[in-house]
Amino acid sequence: MNLNMNSVETLVAQIHGLSGSISDINQLHSLLKQSEDLFQSESTRLAPLLTELDPFMHSLGYLYILDACTSAPISKEQASELVLSIARFINLCAAEQIRLAPDKFTSVCKRFKDQVMLLEDPMQGVAPMLTAIRKLQLSSEHLTTLHPDFLLFCLLAKCYKPGLSILEDDIFDVDQPRDFFLYCYYGGMICIGQKKFSKALELLHNVVTAPMSILNAIVVEAYKKYILVSLIHVGQFSISFPKYTSSVAQRNLKNFSQPYLELANSYGAGKISELELCVQAHNEKFEFDKNLGLVKQVVSCMYKRNIQRLTQTYLTLSLQDIANTVQLNSAKEAEMHVLQMIQDGEIYATINQKDGMVRFLEDPEQYKTCEMIERIDSSIQRIMMLSRKLTDMDEQLSCDPLYLAKVSL
Amino acid sequence: MASSSSSGLTFKLHPLVIVNISDHYTRIKSQSLPPSTTPHAPSASNVADAESSSPPQQSPRVFGCVIGVQRGRTVEIFNSFELLFDPLTHSLDRAFLEKKQELYKKVFPNFYILGWYSTGSDAQESDMLIHRALMDINESPVFVLLNPSINPAQKDLPVTIFESELHVIDGIPQLIFVRSGYTIETVEAERISIDHVAHLKPSDGGSAATQLAAHLTGIHSAIKMLNSRIRGLHHYLLAMQKGDVPVENSLLRQVSSLLRRLPAIESEKFQDDFLMEYNDTLLISYLAMFTNCSSTMNELVDKFNTAYDRQSRRGGRSAFI
Repeated sequence: MNLNMNSVETLVAQIHGLSGSISDINQLHSLLKQSEDLFQSESTRLAPLLTELDPFMHSLGYLYILDACTSAPISKEQASELVLSIARFINLCAAEQIRLAPDKFTSVCKRFKDQVMLLEDPMQGVAPMLTAIRKLQLSSEHLTTLHPDFLLFCLLAKCYKPGLSILEDDIFDVDQPRDFFLYCYYGGMICIGQKKFSKALELLHNVVTAPMSILNAIVVEAYKKYILVSLIHVGQFSISFPKYTSSVAQRNLKNFSQPYLELANSYGAGKISELELCVQAHNEKFEFDKNLGLVKQVVSCMYKRNIQRLTQTYLTLSLQDIANTVQLNSAKEAEMHVLQMIQDGEIYATINQKDGMVRFLEDPEQYKTCEMIERIDSSIQRIMMLSRKLTDMDEQLSCDPLYLAKVSL
Repeated sequence: MASSSSSGLTFKLHPLVIVNISDHYTRIKSQSLPPSTTPHAPSASNVADAESSSPPQQSPRVFGCVIGVQRGRTVEIFNSFELLFDPLTHSLDRAFLEKKQELYKKVFPNFYILGWYSTGSDAQESDMLIHRALMDINESPVFVLLNPSINPAQKDLPVTIFESELHVIDGIPQLIFVRSGYTIETVEAERISIDHVAHLKPSDGGSAATQLAAHLTGIHSAIKMLNSRIRGLHHYLLAMQKGDVPVENSLLRQVSSLLRRLPAIESEKFQDDFLMEYNDTLLISYLAMFTNCSSTMNELVDKFNTAYDRQSRRGGRSAFI
């Protein structure tokens, strides 16, 4: 045992010595890889060594020792200290060094997540996890295993803003498919929480149409939310899947989401009373899936959708008529709804309070301004970049041996 | 050979002549190239290389006659025709020239033979012989020289007009070539047809797409040149302001008069219409890019489905063993 401790000491000395230049660090990395089992055997006694090392200069060595320390079972009292020390390490470590051992870093962060969950204080985990993601990512288009954990923290701590900032980045590289599913699902939930329904729809759509060989639970749940968000945001839901959906999803998803599909059907019919009946009928199922809040939003959206349909038929309408057509209880309620919609920018109208008439107007945007030019210009730039990426992917796929095997006869 | 002419004649050149000469040269050059040789074996020695036939590097010279009208002090060169050069006698084919002269006289009674043309980078001594030979038709012929080498840095036309003058050199009166200035003169019909001929593409004449591309490329290069000229002027004015360059009032006056002519239109209505049209064009390009992207995406998805989907929906064919 003493012998082992001595060799650990020598390793620590080497960590100190070899943390200078890039070639030294590579050498250190191979040394550390070789001494893995040494670390494992001494895991309980490594904690005091951490104090000798500087997390910034010796990030790689620190990482290995930290990983070995945390692999041992941790008691509850130690948990909070450990959480703090890991958070400190994440904030201070050097990105280039930890990118040499990404799986070690990921496992440390995963244990960090477990401890934070144990402590039931997800707020502590939000900031360190964000720093960890930014340090581990090779580029802003890279999806790491830490992304879904981070979003989970954001959801549990109910602080959605940092989550939204991560969701802004476009993803082009994915490490593990499971990460992608979870990331999009949690991301969708965050966006629903912030009422950004279009982004939520896009993320949930990604989960449903992602390539997969067998169905998984994440996709089933995502599909249910997808139906509801689609009803809220777009006002309709089409059963047919786009052609890039995997055949597995196409065949099996419908079986798992019957009540939602019935809800979509009755929404399409346009009658509030039928919709309410449907909601009542499947109430327990919705509650079990924790989607009841969304379902209620769907019902309130129904009114909005009907009022919007009125703008296409009438130029002016009295509030009482609106209330009657949309099956609201009184003109006052109708006025409130219309006012809310005007504020949200969903319709353009003016309410004449004297005689209770509503005039529906056209979209006042003339598309003549310089800001509009800048917007279109930036969209064109984005789409040019996307087009370049797509042609690259197309070329790559054309050279893929699987594809060539299937195409050649 | 250089110095400028003192005869006081003004020369006017029509672009048809330039196109004719360059066409003649291009034809002769492409006809004289031998068929392409097979590639040598890598182990061929230098000697073998030297022995193998290689296309003549020097460009062939072409010759011909220019015709036009001389009114007083103005010489206007309208047209040209080709002549064969006899390298043995170093003279042009006389009989052919006279026959052509008669034919042209019937169609254009006003046109006289004003001189001759050739290609090359500069006038040579042997050209004087040809020049003298023509002096019995026209007592002072002109010599039009086209330089066929393409020099991208050169901004002017590579065409020079030479006259002959009697100068006393070393006590002997000699005829030497002297350069003259000239201007390009053209008629509307000629301009349109020359323009058309000059822009003809080697392929099938251009579908709408290539014509549009050519048109836009032209506009693009014009705008680029405008941009670089304005930048140069701006740079110069800045230097003048800083004091690096002596202040030149005439230039400043010209610049200020130019600036006062801009903007041509400035009004609310113009701004509105301009922005609306600009936005429309941007939207159309955006739409075009969208379509392009969607079609690439569509192909990508098809490929992906064929490669990775376990049961393709199209009932794809499996390899028949």
